[in-house]
Amino acid sequence: MAEGPQRRLRLLIALLTVFLFVVNVQLFKVQIVDHEFYARWAEEQRVRSIRMDQPPRGVIRDRDGCLLAGNGVRYAIEAAPVHVRYRQEAAEDLASVLHMPAAYLEGQLSSRDDNGNYRQWIRIAPSVSREVGERVAELGIGGVTVKPLWRRIYPEGALASHTLGFATAETGYYGVEGFYDAMLQPEPVEWEGPVDVESVPVPWKPISGEFPRRGVDLELTLDRTVQMLVEEELARAVAAYQAEAGTIIVMEPDTFGILGIASLPTYDPEDYARFADQAPSLFEDPAVSKQYEPGSVFKIVTVSAALDAGIVNPDTTYHDQGWIEVGGQAVRNAEGKVYGDQSVTEVLVESLNVGAAWLSKAMGPELFYQYVQDFGFGEPTGVDLAGEVAGQVRLPGDVERWHPSNLGTNAFGQGIAVTPLQMITAMATVANDGARLRPHIVDRRIASDGSVSDFHAVFQEQVIAPETARMLTDMLVRTVEEGTPQAQVEGYRVAGKTGTAQIPIPGGYDPEDTITTFVGFGPMPDPKLVVLVKLERPQSSQWASKTAAPSFARLAAQLFTALGIPAGDQMLAEVTP
Amino acid sequence: MFDSLEWATHGVKRGWLELDSRPVVLLSVILGALTLVAALYLGLVSRTAAQGRRIEQLQTEIFALQRANEQLAVDIAEVSAISQLTERARALGFVPAEQVEFMVVSD
Repeated sequence: MAEGPQRRLRLLIALLTVFLFVVNVQLFKVQIVDHEFYARWAEEQRVRSIRMDQPPRGVIRDRDGCLLAGNGVRYAIEAAPVHVRYRQEAAEDLASVLHMPAAYLEGQLSSRDDNGNYRQWIRIAPSVSREVGERVAELGIGGVTVKPLWRRIYPEGALASHTLGFATAETGYYGVEGFYDAMLQPEPVEWEGPVDVESVPVPWKPISGEFPRRGVDLELTLDRTVQMLVEEELARAVAAYQAEAGTIIVMEPDTFGILGIASLPTYDPEDYARFADQAPSLFEDPAVSKQYEPGSVFKIVTVSAALDAGIVNPDTTYHDQGWIEVGGQAVRNAEGKVYGDQSVTEVLVESLNVGAAWLSKAMGPELFYQYVQDFGFGEPTGVDLAGEVAGQVRLPGDVERWHPSNLGTNAFGQGIAVTPLQMITAMATVANDGARLRPHIVDRRIASDGSVSDFHAVFQEQVIAPETARMLTDMLVRTVEEGTPQAQVEGYRVAGKTGTAQIPIPGGYDPEDTITTFVGFGPMPDPKLVVLVKLERPQSSQWASKTAAPSFARLAAQLFTALGIPAGDQMLAEVTP
Repeated sequence: MFDSLEWATHGVKRGWLELDSRPVVLLSVILGALTLVAALYLGLVSRTAAQGRRIEQLQTEIFALQRANEQLAVDIAEVSAISQLTERARALGFVPAEQVEFMVVSD
């Protein structure tokens, strides 16, 4: 070979060798030295964490399994304009189903980002009905996706709305939805694995790990028939007595399970957004969140405390001169009446403020307030409903807020604030032989794996002796029969007490309006139900005996019938073959 | 003569490209084993991918059935809501029971 070409060949070989050396050095750097960096980079591009379809929120049922809160399906219509090929046709097809202008939809499907590229993602319709969503899916337009969404549905409408609360797509608020939100929430599962350029999982490896779990289902103590009767009676009472608002609670005295609970005014939980703007305070459940001065119905606490402490018995008498001095203040009977010699039973029958103050004075503040606290006043009952408040009890140790005269006024339910639930819990304690349990609304929980957790009654305190409770019950039966015949239920014996409370306003009490309450239980001698009726500012009469008491009687009669509860001295016939 | 003999026996002579048979067999075995492993691996991967796809489809189906189930439960609850039942009962002429007589059983 000639000298020239041979030299050029050697030069080429040398250059190639150098080039290959550089390439090899670079390869070594990429593959060996920077291996970790590039491996991670590749992984980041290839592997994505994708949230799997959301399972449904746990449902809420009544004690018979009737659905009170369930899950409906809606769809979000979304699109990736970059992947839509025939935009005009797609827009026309979508317009016919979504009833939106085709031109608008075409504009959406042709929208571009700041760099002039077609957008990667747009939302066309945030929430459409199941039928519309399924029709869009059937169109099969490339680049248009139909994403299922859950929507909380309350099949019974506004029934038990305060108790149930409501739920948005993510969170539950108020009532059971709020209290048990963490439990009702489904468990989302994120899947990590290889995806394609459109972030769609590549079935390279089976999706492993746990399948998303639905939320825990709840079964309430609530009975929807009782609830309906309660709501119907409440509406009737509010209308008939021209009350501003009202609350009714029905409880089982042996378990403290709530069978029915309703307040007016109310709202539609499916339409919560409208009320959120107009009247958000409607969401709060007045049965647990609204405190009020209970009035004479509180005398059951005073009398039971005095009986249980052994200070008096039902026949102990005192002289009622129409007033009594407690802590430097005069306590008077309603309308300033004078009753002369009266027994402790008559303190309840005639609802004597002077008698109640006489009892609390005889007990002294330490003993009296001990019983008030033992009955659960001044602290939340612990019911499983969101937003419960503690009420307000001023204690002797609180020198700034408590005055010795409070001992007298508190004895007949003035200057003390309670919730309707606290009041019915106190009465249920009497009906339950003096044992206070924790009121509750959830009876059982059913997890997604089918495991069931049943409620067990939570004992709180033996507030008064069973003998005292039975003694007080007899007195309360007489109170209905002799003092408040409007609360009597035909064919049944019931116990109960009225409360007509003044409403505190700045500088004193409202001279006209009252809050009327009746709390009773029956039938005797083995009570099955405790019922509280509370009406705010009734205009037809300011007295509980003429408003809350007859409402109680009507409701109790219906409940005894609906639940098949015979009068105490009767037994159901057994059908034998 | 010599040239023609050499030409004739040329084909049976060990040529410079001719290999020893043992390494060839060894190489063939290795290649065969590698091919077998590759084929098995490919089969496994494709089977895994197919299973992954199937699982994905089943999961989609489960979600769809779950949605249908939930919606159905709600639909049933709506038509059997107590307000609906009451309305229907009243339309059929039923009235609320007012006084129930319980039969007294002697001991």
